[in-house]
Amino acid sequence: MDDTSWITETLDLVATGALRTIALAATSVIVSVACGVLLGVLLCLPNGRWSTPARGILTAYLQVFRGLPVLVTLFIVFFVSPSLGVQLASFPAAVVGLSLWGSANVMEVVRGAVRSIPTAQSEAASALGFGWTSVMRWVVLPQAIKRMLPPVVNLIVDLIQATTLASLIGVVEVLQRSRQAVEYYQLSEGDGHATPIFAAVLLLFFLICYPLTLLAKRIERRITTPGRPPSSSLPAAEPAPASTVHADPANR
Amino acid sequence: MMTPAAFTNLAAFEYADVLWTGLLMTLQISLIGMAGSVVVGLAGAAAITLRVPVLSQAIRMYVEIIRNTPLLVQVFFLFFVAPPLGLTLSAYAVGCISLIAWGGAYNVENFRAGLDAVGPRYQEGARALGFSRFRTFVHVTAPIGVRLSIPGLTNTLISVLKNSALMLGIGLAELTFVVQKLSADTFRTVELYVLLGVVYLVLVLLLSSFMHLIGRRYALAGGV
Repeated sequence: MDDTSWITETLDLVATGALRTIALAATSVIVSVACGVLLGVLLCLPNGRWSTPARGILTAYLQVFRGLPVLVTLFIVFFVSPSLGVQLASFPAAVVGLSLWGSANVMEVVRGAVRSIPTAQSEAASALGFGWTSVMRWVVLPQAIKRMLPPVVNLIVDLIQATTLASLIGVVEVLQRSRQAVEYYQLSEGDGHATPIFAAVLLLFFLICYPLTLLAKRIERRITTPGRPPSSSLPAAEPAPASTVHADPANR
Repeated sequence: MMTPAAFTNLAAFEYADVLWTGLLMTLQISLIGMAGSVVVGLAGAAAITLRVPVLSQAIRMYVEIIRNTPLLVQVFFLFFVAPPLGLTLSAYAVGCISLIAWGGAYNVENFRAGLDAVGPRYQEGARALGFSRFRTFVHVTAPIGVRLSIPGLTNTLISVLKNSALMLGIGLAELTFVVQKLSADTFRTVELYVLLGVVYLVLVLLLSSFMHLIGRRYALAGGV
């Protein structure tokens, strides 16, 4: 314990892992939100010759990837893809796996938010001659986007936390690096310094995630309309879909 | 054409006994995790709602820490930190404790949201009839609030079930661990992982249908 050189060594090691974590989180968040919003809007298409089966496929996608544990999705992408002829390295496999899960959750958020806009809005726009795209673009989405923000921020927090699962398919991110450090010191010094190292990783994630959680709460408070009771965070007890989707951050 | 022989050649049948032990372990730690997290969640939400000094602040802190750090890191922390403190926790114990602690934090929030949503007129009514603050909570607020929390609770319980897969990281032989090991040994990757995915989807579906039934059985007649 008198020698503290392990601290700087570990910091160096873990810092490279942290960069990897940030890259993974950023890529997955961008892909998840982009794909999720696009697919989520498609999920709201009115009945039609090809839109009905398309919606069926999208719903199946949503159900499957929200139903599977993220870890299992990662394993399926990483271990099964070679058998199907696609060899993915661990980092891209992690991005794909996390994005499948993330986009499915964003889709659900988008669908909930769009449904929470009273149908009178889109009916009025249609009566004025707006097509489906214009109704979405100019009337529904501008209102829905506000309601999407809190659950999407919560989802980003979950995605950031889920990046640690990538260590189990061999991405050398912050958790993997810290495990390597603990193992190394365990072997070389007989003391792995596990407590301070893992505590530091917990602290790192807390410092990133807690401000985002507070941000989500603050946005949610701000958009809660005066007419609605302040208990809008109550999951699904009232027919307010925006709060239903908010109940989901636990769902990973 | 699927002949009976081809059917029994499926990995699911060939390794049925190993897969079965994995499934049992998954179910076991998930059920312990779910039950424990409901208890922790109820106790925590009660302490916050009754504004128990010190305890309610401590519970808030616990909730924020758990919710804003990754479960897998919590698992490793518990697994590697205990030995230097003189405790040796098995992977099984770490699995149960971390699932209870994780689900418990989310359930504190679920139950608290439900309890908060109980209209003040119920509490006022009870107080006017001479119920103490504690008895108002036990006999009026909690029975209504817990029912209102069922949708959020369902999400958390499903997540506890799914997150039991993370215990593979500390070498607990649950279903995902067993499948990973089997596929490494037998190279029957596609079959085994498709099976794994289907099993989790079925388990999640069963659990959510069960919770839906409970929600219907205990639905409030008039709304709040």
